Formats: sequence, structure tokens, C-alpha cells
Amino acid sequence: MTIFGLWVINKAGGLVYERSFADGLPHLTSNEYLVLAGTLHGIHAITSRLSPTGSSSGAHVISGETFKMNILLTATGTKFVLLTSLVEPTADSVLQKVYEIYADAVMKNPFHTPEMPIRTEGFDTRIGALLG
Amino acid sequence: MTIYSLYIFDRHCACVYYQDWHRTVRPKMAVEGGMLPAVYAPVYPQANPDTMYGNRNTFSAPSSGIVVAVNDDVPHTPLPTQTQSPIAPIPPPPTSSLSFDEEAKLVYGVVLSLRNMIRKLSGKDEQFVNYQTSTYKLHLYETTSGYKFVILSDPAADSLRFVLRQIYSGPFLEYVVRNPLVEMNSRERGIDNEYFRMSTDRLVRGLTVFQ
Repeated sequence: MTIFGLWVINKAGGLVYERSFADGLPHLTSNEYLVLAGTLHGIHAITSRLSPTGSSSGAHVISGETFKMNILLTATGTKFVLLTSLVEPTADSVLQKVYEIYADAVMKNPFHTPEMPIRTEGFDTRIGALLG
Repeated sequence: MTIYSLYIFDRHCACVYYQDWHRTVRPKMAVEGGMLPAVYAPVYPQANPDTMYGNRNTFSAPSSGIVVAVNDDVPHTPLPTQTQSPIAPIPPPPTSSLSFDEEAKLVYGVVLSLRNMIRKLSGKDEQFVNYQTSTYKLHLYETTSGYKFVILSDPAADSLRFVLRQIYSGPFLEYVVRNPLVEMNSRERGIDNEYFRMSTDRLVRGLTVFQ
């Protein structure tokens, strides 16, 4: 029941927000996170094409041995990725709440440029209150 | 709950074995040179020209068995009429938009990228285990020798790593590694053989997730 981190990836595959919470996963440089987000964006598109039965969504959950990545793809193409421990049944609802906060604090902010890194203080504090 | 397909990749990134069960979207024929022989006969391109040749050759009389005229400069087989077997070609079920070789490459690419991503994120030698979409779940088991066993199952299935391990320690070791007729690591041939296919099939069909 640990949340390690949160990423927000824009529709072009760029990482616009990254924040780490609990310890457990090592800290990477921001450049490494950018590369990983871009890779994930590509993989997500491919996974929807590999379906053995009809059309499929992209990957929802990607699991390693000690942690998993929960992915929420919104209708506009923005991806929210939550890195959690393997047993985290609330991950989906947390992602929904993050999406709500994003809609309120980021999309309604007139000073925010769409598809650009999120530098909104309100988003940071509300995410901190939800996950920190 | 079901199991869709099994891919085995060697350490040279090539798909050396494929088998499927409840797959509704059929894999498309591979392009020539796209895949190794002895991986999965139904999509191997070599099997195709014969039947295609037979269908295209409108000048030969199929009943008499005599070739009147051949509209192709280089015949693919010495006796094209022989290939017109009494077995009618099966009407194709819905096929995937990807040819088999492309599909296998995509599976390998996804698996390798995710493996590297998990390794990078964990900071240690952690393995990628599985991922899940709305219609399927992909599981990976990698052996020390670099063979990658990939199985696609129902999204509701639990981790099937133990099954992949069973395939490795049972049929794979018995009928591939200990089989002197299978050239492993050849880069030229897959590992398909009758015993391996049969015993893998039996193992998978015996699982509780397979229904």
C-alpha cells in the first residue's frame, strides 16, 4: 500500500509532471524520466495493437516484481501514471482523483499553456494533500 | 478465463516458436524472409506459393492432371498439379492487420522495452512480470540463457509465470534442449517439433485457467 510516484504524460509523449513520494524506488535524473515517459507512450500504443481478440485498450497495469505502474488514459490523450506497490487496490480511484485535480487546478488555470510542463502551485499542493 | 497464445524468443531476438489456442483474430501470413522456418508452419511463407500457384494457374486442367500452359516463368514446384490437393482451402477467419513476423517483432519490442524500463525504475535487477489491457494480459518469463517465454491470457488470469516455468522445465528441456535434432542458437531455424508442440499443448490444456 505505498505510492512511489506520479507522472503526467501529454498526448505527444512528453513528461509534463513528475513527482516522487515514498522511498523504495531510486531517484532518477529528470532526463531519464523523460526518456522513460516517451518509451511508455510508445509501448502503450503498441500494446493496443497486439490484442488476440478484437480491439483493445492500451496497457492498464504494468507489473514488475515489487512494484506496478497503473496507467489512466483520458479521452484527450493525457496519461496519468501512478507507481505503486504490487498490492494497491485503490490505484484506479486515486488516478481518477488526480485527473479531477488536474482538470480543476491545471486546465482551469489561465496561465497554464496546454501540453507544457505543469508549473501550477495549486496542483502541487493538492496532489501533495492527496498522495503525500 | 483462457489462454490465447505462446511465443518463445531466443537470445538473438528471433521468434523461435509460436502456438495459439483461443485466438479469434488469426495471425496473418508472414512475409518472405520475415520469420525463421520451424516456428509455426501455418503462417510460414514457404507453404503459401504452392497453393497460390495452384489457384493462379488457370490454364491447367485440374481433373486431368495435365498442365496445358503455365503463366509463370519460373515454376515454384516441378509438378504444380500435385499441389491441388482434394483438401479445399479453409475460408480465412478474421485476420490480424499485422503479419505474423511484424506481430512477433512488436511483442518482442514491447517485452524488451518494458524489461528495461522496470530495470531502470527499480534500480536493481528486477524482472518485468506482466502487463494487462482491457482484453488480454501478457506474461513474461526469461531464462538465464536468454530465452524469453511470453504467454497471452485472459486479463482476469493471475500471474502465469509458473506455467511458463513449467513449459521451460518440462517440454522445453525434454524435447528441445535434449533433442539432438533441434538446432538451438542456429539463427536459421526455429525449435518447432511434434513432441514439443504436443506436450506444450497438453500442458496448457490441462491448466485450470484454460477453458
